[in-house]
Amino acid sequence: MIFENILHRPIRTLVSVLAVAIEVGMVMLVVGMTHGMLHETAKRVEGVGADIMVQPPGASLFLGLTQAPMPVQVGDRLAELPHVLAVTPVLLFLNTRGGINLIYGIDMPTFKEVSGGFTYLKGGPFEHPYDMLVDDWYARSNNVKVGETINLLNNKFRVSGIVEHGMGARIFIPLSTAQELTGAHDKASIFYIKCTDPGYTQAVITSIKQLLPTHQIHSTKEYMSLMTSNDLPALNAFISAMITVAVGIGFMVIFLSMYTTITERTREIGILKSLGAGKRYIIGVILREASLLSILGVVLGYAGTWLARKVIVATFPTLTVELTIHWALWAGLLAIGGSLLGAFYPAIRAARLDPVDSLAYE
Amino acid sequence: MGSIFLAGTEEAAREVSQIGCMEPIISTENLTKTYRVGKVDVPALRGVDLVVQEGEFLAVVGPSGCGKSTLLHVLGGLTRPSGGRVLVDGNDFRGMNDAQRTKFRRHKIGFVFQRYNLLPTLTARHNIAIAQHIQGDGFNPHRFETVAEMLGIKDKLDRKPYALSGGEQQRVAIARAVVCEPKLLLADEPTGNLDTENSQLVLSMLRNLNRDFRQTILMITHNPEAASVADRLIRMRDGQIVSD
Repeated sequence: MIFENILHRPIRTLVSVLAVAIEVGMVMLVVGMTHGMLHETAKRVEGVGADIMVQPPGASLFLGLTQAPMPVQVGDRLAELPHVLAVTPVLLFLNTRGGINLIYGIDMPTFKEVSGGFTYLKGGPFEHPYDMLVDDWYARSNNVKVGETINLLNNKFRVSGIVEHGMGARIFIPLSTAQELTGAHDKASIFYIKCTDPGYTQAVITSIKQLLPTHQIHSTKEYMSLMTSNDLPALNAFISAMITVAVGIGFMVIFLSMYTTITERTREIGILKSLGAGKRYIIGVILREASLLSILGVVLGYAGTWLARKVIVATFPTLTVELTIHWALWAGLLAIGGSLLGAFYPAIRAARLDPVDSLAYE
Repeated sequence: MGSIFLAGTEEAAREVSQIGCMEPIISTENLTKTYRVGKVDVPALRGVDLVVQEGEFLAVVGPSGCGKSTLLHVLGGLTRPSGGRVLVDGNDFRGMNDAQRTKFRRHKIGFVFQRYNLLPTLTARHNIAIAQHIQGDGFNPHRFETVAEMLGIKDKLDRKPYALSGGEQQRVAIARAVVCEPKLLLADEPTGNLDTENSQLVLSMLRNLNRDFRQTILMITHNPEAASVADRLIRMRDGQIVSD
């Protein structure tokens, strides 16, 4: 009977299934994009190759939001600490033109000491103050070529090289140029520190804490572990809000769908009651129908999400959409749970219908 | 009632002869039912006394609004009586709640309605089988086949109600009503929507069910021809039985 009922009203079924699919897709894509962005950012920071990061007091884990109040000279003092191999200052800022891009202002020689240097896919390092490097993902998504001029912070930059992705940012300019453009002379937002051996990381952190007690000092491993939505309350709230909206959509559509179904099928419910169907049977019929609709929606949602990911990644190559089995299961469970909740009141209402009135319903 | 699948009329006749010694299947005393319409109480049954023995075929006639359908609904446990005593197959409805009456209906009562009341999304086969499903004893293919054959609908089982004529739909409805071997078959104007030919066919099937299988039938009708098929005729007026 459940299958027949679903096939009997194809438009209603389609709308309900689509709503659940959108719910599933919304949950998976929001979580996937958020987690993807976090993990991708963290991996790029790890890709710099440093063991320790030093940020000013109160700086955000989102590096692009960090101010630049640290004098570059701090780096010289850090470099004198035992077991420190290299220190490189980086000035970070966001370019919001043509999308949000994190830009690293780097001191090429020390950055090379810490990171081991860029892998150039095309072109080479900076030759002039207004040269820039972009990574291959940025170059592909923006169709950028070596020698091309790009407008950055109202200044024209020449692309001197395209480097392999995964080294902190997607755009790099010389540190001195970055300081000049942002008015942060002799300042840096972050110091990346390479130890003589990774085993000295904790010892070096202890030394830095004595030198700069109020600064934020993280080992790269610690930073990686902190880059989850659980450690970023605002992001967690955003994800929760989006999930609530998604589940709410599914809940309301299934509620309305089943509510109209009950009204439409009042007479059929009366027939079932005349045959001796009890409240539990009637509730079971409604909930099974809602379950089937939501399962179909979940399956369509999974397929739609997979397709949407393909389209997003093809359209915006710099975006990372991280789809996991864990969140796929959660999205499915939330959709089915929300649908059952939405169908519960209509089911109770159907079970309480008076059989005589139901049989007389036109 | 014995099984509706008793073979041979001799055995059935022997059982019919025992009717007098058995407990009545229906017994009502001063049965009343009052509906509340807005702020007004509308009495539908005003003290009905009725005794029906097992195996009887009873027709209830009377003008519209005389309480026939209400009597059928009360006897089928679809609605609670307002007063008096109702015993159906030994079960006193006064002490039964909605869930108990539903369970009783599931196992003891079969309904046939004027408008057939088949589930439009299901085939004839599933419309009949759903009664067995609701009863909870599982699908009984032997019983199903026998009923379908008896009512002449074997070749229509895979059709949905919209693809069946009125007479065929009513036969499916009868099959659904008797497939679980109810103690009592309650028919509410079963020929009300049928032409003469189909009416005759449905009535003869009800007659056969009663004669061959001792199915107790209480049938409400406006149609004197339909009423004449029954063994016993009861007339109602203004919520009371005026002749028996």
